[in-house]
Amino acid sequence: MSVSTRSSEGVPGTETHGFAIVVDGLRKRYGTLIAVDGISFRVKEREIFGLLGPNGAGKTTTVEILEGLRSADEGHVIVAGIDVRKDPEKVKNVIGVQLQSSAFFDGLNLLELLDMFAALYGRTVDAMAILRKVDLTEKAGSTVPKLSGGQKQRFSIATALVNEPQILFLDEPTTGLDPQARRNLWELAESIRTEGRTIVLTTHYMDEAETLCDRVAVMDHGKVLAMEPPDALIQRLLDKGFHKERVERSANLEDVFLDMTGHGLRES
Amino acid sequence: MLTWSSLKAYFRNRGAIFFSLLVPLMIMGIFGLINFGNSTPSVNIGVVDQAHDQVSGRIISSLQGIKAVKLHTGSLDSEKHELQQGNRDLVAVLPASIGRGSTAITAYYNQGNPQNSQVAIAIMNQFVDRASFAFAGITPALTLDTTPVQSRNLTYVDFLVPGMIALSIMQTGLFGVVFTFVQWKQRGILRRLMATPMRVRDFFFSQLVTRLTTVALQIIVLLVVGLLLFHFHFAGNLLYLLIVGIIGGGIFLAMGLAISGASKSEETAAPIANLVSLPLMFLSGIFFSRSNMPEWLQTVTQYSPLTYVSDALRSISIDGASLWAIRGDLLGIFIWLGVAVVLATRLFKWEVV
Repeated sequence: MSVSTRSSEGVPGTETHGFAIVVDGLRKRYGTLIAVDGISFRVKEREIFGLLGPNGAGKTTTVEILEGLRSADEGHVIVAGIDVRKDPEKVKNVIGVQLQSSAFFDGLNLLELLDMFAALYGRTVDAMAILRKVDLTEKAGSTVPKLSGGQKQRFSIATALVNEPQILFLDEPTTGLDPQARRNLWELAESIRTEGRTIVLTTHYMDEAETLCDRVAVMDHGKVLAMEPPDALIQRLLDKGFHKERVERSANLEDVFLDMTGHGLRES
Repeated sequence: MLTWSSLKAYFRNRGAIFFSLLVPLMIMGIFGLINFGNSTPSVNIGVVDQAHDQVSGRIISSLQGIKAVKLHTGSLDSEKHELQQGNRDLVAVLPASIGRGSTAITAYYNQGNPQNSQVAIAIMNQFVDRASFAFAGITPALTLDTTPVQSRNLTYVDFLVPGMIALSIMQTGLFGVVFTFVQWKQRGILRRLMATPMRVRDFFFSQLVTRLTTVALQIIVLLVVGLLLFHFHFAGNLLYLLIVGIIGGGIFLAMGLAISGASKSEETAAPIANLVSLPLMFLSGIFFSRSNMPEWLQTVTQYSPLTYVSDALRSISIDGASLWAIRGDLLGIFIWLGVAVVLATRLFKWEVV
């Protein structure tokens, strides 16, 4: 199977309407290492788009370029209608970024941190309303180190929402969380999308991508290997005659776990 | 807003605030106590009386009358032993025939402590001169009339407190910045901030204000403790002290940023920061006057940033100097500030690459 690294949706760079992100011929080198090797893809508005790939595939570099944190060597990158290479600072106003290790100033409580982040965007926000959205109102007066893993990730998403972003970048948001907390976070992602935002998600969990993502791009060695809805990719593999040694039953151990321990969140 | 947040965050970290004050206070306490009440220097002179007559007795009693002399008497062997142990600065031997033919007083002195021995020799010389005139019945051609003038009685504490203030300025600047920034880098906090439209200069401004507020508070606390507990004589202007402290603090903040930029982890940052701070601490006249150093070292260390800062603080607090009077030190401070800022902008990186 070979999929062109060019997006199939028309001539690149001409039409950006209806797309939250347009990437065309993006290339990035670190010395002799080619981290991103001329990739092109488009993310539709209100889509949950998954960026998959093993470590070192070029996901992080790609995302960081989209976020305006790194410069590209070649190619076009349009995020929310803004040319990122021309105006990286402007992009930061319309996107929200949740990072893997989300540590903050330890001395401030959640409300104060949200106010501070809002101030960085030149905004004032109803911090309590944002906490309500991520179900953290009870922890409003706590500091981040006192939160559980799932709460930390939810708070990290809250900080990424202070500027009402059009596009939200989530970087491995459920790594290290228990099954209940993961499902809770998936619901949060869905609800954010329902508000009309686009989500770009990087993850190593294929079940997560399968559940959440409308489309995924599979990257390796700086190239996009495939870009389709998860079901289409699975069907394609099956069509090639692939079959598992062991036939999947209609439930797995995680279902057992959740059946026994319930879907309720386990947080103090 | 960012500044306010960072101030709040910083001062809620009570442990760090406590320790940033504790260490200078502890050092001040230790050094202050060691030297307390020992403000008038004295030399130890041993006398070996081999005559045991009227003449030698008179010499000994008049030597005892000299305020700066601690007089010890003993046998030649025991006094020489004390000299070798460093307990005497000079040992004078009064021969058996003194005043009856023999005029030579032999003096042994301690080479290991040249400063004190020189004082001891000068005292003995003066004493011998005066005694000779008296024996010969000559009125000296010149005499020196001394008139005491009331002056502030400067103690070691008066030297030490400005030095401690300078030291705490350096420590806060270097270590406060190095550790937090390296940590923020490692924990991704800087990256998270960079993903917002935060202006870099606002960020540095907030950090600068936070740290310099700390520096100003440290100056005041050290000053108050010095005044209350150690009878520090402060003759200067607090505002000048704060101005010098804050500008000086800027040097070490910038150095701290440069170090945290050049190092990837706390494990590398700490030794580098120590490598900078330890020599500065001991070579900049913080605990002891640089005049005890060999001349070449004095020449080198007079250009140290901490020397400029501590000298300036000392001039202000001891001599009540104006900013104009310490313009030389201020020039040095500003040059260092420039150098450190250039280094910081060159070396500082936002990410752990």
